[in-house]
Amino acid sequence: MAIRRIEVREKVMAKNDEIAADVRRRLDASGVPCFNLVSSPGSGKTALLERTLQQLGDELNIAVVTGDVQTENDAERLAVHTDRLVQAVVTNGACHMDARQILVALEQISLEDTDLLIIENVGNLVCPASWDLGETAKIVIFSVTEGEDKPLKYPRMFERSTWAVLSKTDLLPHLPFDPDKALAFAHEVNPELEFFFTSALTGDGMDEWCDFLRQRARAGSGTAV
Amino acid sequence: MHELSLAMDVCRITEDQVGRASLGLVREVGVEVGDRSGVEFGTFEFCLESLLSAPPFVNARPQIERTPGDELRVTYVEVDDGDSSD
Repeated sequence: MAIRRIEVREKVMAKNDEIAADVRRRLDASGVPCFNLVSSPGSGKTALLERTLQQLGDELNIAVVTGDVQTENDAERLAVHTDRLVQAVVTNGACHMDARQILVALEQISLEDTDLLIIENVGNLVCPASWDLGETAKIVIFSVTEGEDKPLKYPRMFERSTWAVLSKTDLLPHLPFDPDKALAFAHEVNPELEFFFTSALTGDGMDEWCDFLRQRARAGSGTAV
Repeated sequence: MHELSLAMDVCRITEDQVGRASLGLVREVGVEVGDRSGVEFGTFEFCLESLLSAPPFVNARPQIERTPGDELRVTYVEVDDGDSSD
């Protein structure tokens, strides 16, 4: 028996990273910033996007790619609020989106006519943290109905995110959730993480969030991943 | 699911190295898994064992090395080239 060893040293995710770099090149060439919204299921990503499209839809050309495990429900909800293409990616059970899906979705989107691209990832605080989609930055959505210690339980997602949105703040008077404690935990994991505080139901905090998106859309795609 | 898709990528890289026709000759696949790679070690190992022991592989096995950091990569592939006296 002759055993031959082939030295490899190839990253398991090299293929995804290569496609993500291609996505990023295309977005950069068109000056389109792209935010990848990540969260646990039920944190309010779709509600935040609905409200965002209501407030900014007439002013900015926002394209959306939604990832859902099994339905197109999120895309259908968002399509009510915009004439822009909402591209649905059904992952058929996969717990994350990958760069190849975004590359395919981009073929349906005219980037020259787009000010901002938002990806609504599959609801999961673990797996999407590992996949580069070619986005400008990840934004983690964190609702007040979750525990304050979510950042400690899922540190990788909070480390990999540049911004965070604390959502459903209208429920704060009814819950024992302590926002200061939640922020302290988040900053323990990622001291640079910047927070927005929103209620898609009442509109509280939406102006600050929309101002941020407006500024980023005007600045183009050149922000750190 | 996440670990299974990564394990399938390990199989794809292995196939890139040896060719599909030679996958039955693969005996061992070395994989480096960083503690901060976002991979659940036990699940990933089980997925790899399952895939590498089923066709088109024949009794291949993973050799996983845990490392600090966030690397996740295939480090080597060992192939049985048969009787060296032939």
